[in-house]
Amino acid sequence: MWRYIIRRLLSLIPVLIGISLFVFLLMHLTPGDPAQLMLGEGAPAHQLEALRESMGLNEPWHIQYINWLKNAIRLDFGHSLRSKKAVATEILDRLPATAELAIAAVSIAVLIGVPVGILSASKPNSTFDNIAMVGALTGVGMPAFWQGIMLILLFSVTFQLLPSSGRLGGWQYLVLPAVTLGTAATASIARLTRSAMLDVLQQDYVRTARAKGLRSRRVVYRHALRNALIPVVTMIGLQFGGLMSGAVLTETIFAWPGIGRMLVEAINNKDFPLVQGTIMTFALTYALVNLLVDVLYAFLDPRLRTTYE
Amino acid sequence: MFKKSWFVVLLVLAVAFAGVGVVGAQTLTVAQGADPVTLDPHGQNDQPSARVRVQIFETLVNHGPNLEIIPGLAKSWEQIDDVTWEFKLEENVKFHNGDGFTAADVKYSFERIKELPSPAAFLIDSVKEVVVVDPYTVHIVLNEPFAPILAHLAHPSNAIVNRRSVEEAGDGFGSLVAVGTGPFVFEDWVSGSHVTLSRNEQYWGEPAKVETLVIRGIPENTVRAIELETGGVDIAYNIDPTDEFRLTGTPGLILDKSQTLSTSYIGFNVQKEPFDDVRVRQAINYALDVEAVVDYIYTGQAAPAGGPLAPLVWGALDVEGYEFNPEKAKALLAEAGYPDGFKTTIWTNDNPLRMQIAEMFQADLAEIGVDVEVLIVPWATYLADTAAGKHDMFILGWVTVTADPDYGLYALFHSSQFGDPGNRSFYANERVDELLDLGRVEADPDKRAAIYAEAQEYIVAEAPWAFLIATMEVNGMRDNVEGFMAHPAGHHKLSTVSKK
Repeated sequence: MWRYIIRRLLSLIPVLIGISLFVFLLMHLTPGDPAQLMLGEGAPAHQLEALRESMGLNEPWHIQYINWLKNAIRLDFGHSLRSKKAVATEILDRLPATAELAIAAVSIAVLIGVPVGILSASKPNSTFDNIAMVGALTGVGMPAFWQGIMLILLFSVTFQLLPSSGRLGGWQYLVLPAVTLGTAATASIARLTRSAMLDVLQQDYVRTARAKGLRSRRVVYRHALRNALIPVVTMIGLQFGGLMSGAVLTETIFAWPGIGRMLVEAINNKDFPLVQGTIMTFALTYALVNLLVDVLYAFLDPRLRTTYE
Repeated sequence: MFKKSWFVVLLVLAVAFAGVGVVGAQTLTVAQGADPVTLDPHGQNDQPSARVRVQIFETLVNHGPNLEIIPGLAKSWEQIDDVTWEFKLEENVKFHNGDGFTAADVKYSFERIKELPSPAAFLIDSVKEVVVVDPYTVHIVLNEPFAPILAHLAHPSNAIVNRRSVEEAGDGFGSLVAVGTGPFVFEDWVSGSHVTLSRNEQYWGEPAKVETLVIRGIPENTVRAIELETGGVDIAYNIDPTDEFRLTGTPGLILDKSQTLSTSYIGFNVQKEPFDDVRVRQAINYALDVEAVVDYIYTGQAAPAGGPLAPLVWGALDVEGYEFNPEKAKALLAEAGYPDGFKTTIWTNDNPLRMQIAEMFQADLAEIGVDVEVLIVPWATYLADTAAGKHDMFILGWVTVTADPDYGLYALFHSSQFGDPGNRSFYANERVDELLDLGRVEADPDKRAAIYAEAQEYIVAEAPWAFLIATMEVNGMRDNVEGFMAHPAGHHKLSTVSKK
């Protein structure tokens, strides 16, 4: 198992380099000059030149990339062109907020979505099932920016129960953004759990278990669920990886100091080092989450353990 | 059986809430539409950063309530020759780290601005050197006479910093450390969330009225207004028109509308046909219903601009401009040889207000037979392509940050400033060039005002722009907030604000 993990981690390196090159090319080949964007409508020529020079933008692009790579290998990701702060600092400052929101949203999704999915599957086409699935559809259909503002109007303005925005300390600030973000994930997980369970409940070994006289609850939870969870765990992993990349809309509405908002601004400002560093972070997070999910499979399905040798 | 326990509970609650009341009154929370980029006054020069920096750092001179130049860290000044200004500095000023403020700090600050280079270094292009005469006297020596120098020195990007704190902080200056001389001391900055400042108890001037100042970034306009409504913040900057409409009349809130130094305009590429003919440009000015733009697009958060300068800029002419007269427009077009109009394009970036202006403009011009296609260009390319002159017409804005007409006119209308520096109309007029050059060096204010008056009259008559509006700003606050003074450039100083 360890050899497998190490192999996976090593294979990350070419992936990350490839991504970094791709992002670099995209940023440099698309129009827009960070110095010009910084100075705005009135950019005296000599000032523009001086800024470009100080940002190292006059070098040919492949030299700029190689310089970046040389530093990146030593874990020096440079400085933001705008704020002059170290890229690593910028990212680490905002990562906890995003992680907090992602974990909260995924927790809501799992704590509500999985049980709902299981119950729906146990009583297919019942009233509960129908309501749950329609609810799920609605959840996926609601745009985040609309839902966010609706929740604020309801819980902050009308009922005055929760703060409207910000991350100023305390669980109260986390509730509305996490619910907004978690709704779509909850809906997807509920539906997937339901269909995976339904699938598994049709299997022969489940019929055998029932024929043996095992109680229904035992059949569902001990025998069926573990196998149904495999696709669900994949989806949870994907959701989490995606949420860690920052939910820009939710972060913007709730003034949540996360990484998604930071990345969008960096892209608009053509802040190359910051964009590069942030996307590397996403790629790494995503890859690690996927690795974790794959390792979890081995625990869920013993048959897979041998493939990990 | 005396309900002692209830009494105790009530007492505790009373104390708790009394405490909340007292502590609450000492913290002022302000919300603006974006997070600062850096707190280094010599760094990136954007509005959200400037709004925090002006509480911490100070300049040699300031803009007073009527945008007149008043003392700052310099208590007096005198122009001792054509190119030399002598400043006498305040003598008992301490930086937030305890160091005394002296002339050496002024020299260090201006040299730092030029060396970095600060993105706003061009503001002190005219400065050749800073000479320390004695610990509280500096000479600022210019390359050539530059009349607006005082207005430029009042700009927040020319604030004075402390050498020791800059050198010790290294990369962290502007994010972990921000040592100035101002009425507020930098405490903490939670990236993407808020900046916390505390009152400078050793401030050399009038101390701040509140103990703690928290400045939050809330990008979504509606949510910022909601925070004001629910009391989550005490002041919310830039209430946008829809929220202004919703909040007007709400008990407990004050909406303060003030003029800014910003204008929005439509520029013609005067080197391209048919805009090389002044009659065409004038015709388009007559065809535009600017009142409608003010009423429907800005919903009152603007005023029509008859000329190129925002009304609060020193020396701005109160110009009638072109009234809305489609008949006259058609007549002028016919005279210029376009009785049936012509086809053309207007560029805008994806700014929602500008896109709406473009649509209204299209409709107005259709009335006089001009067929306008609206092209939406992403911001990243907008500046570059308009600088290259690829456009027919374009919509843009300008902020005369120094409140001086030189800044508001030179970069936009002088023939040496084509493209990136600001003259995207590629307008060139010998007399206007002459006037703008003269205005830069003329020391006598009355003569200077006359020079700029003539320049503005020319510019209005020649119409390299379709003059649109001067924007206004609406800031909202709870009604227990007192002493808020809006600065037309947008970086409001908050040391005078208190909470009842």
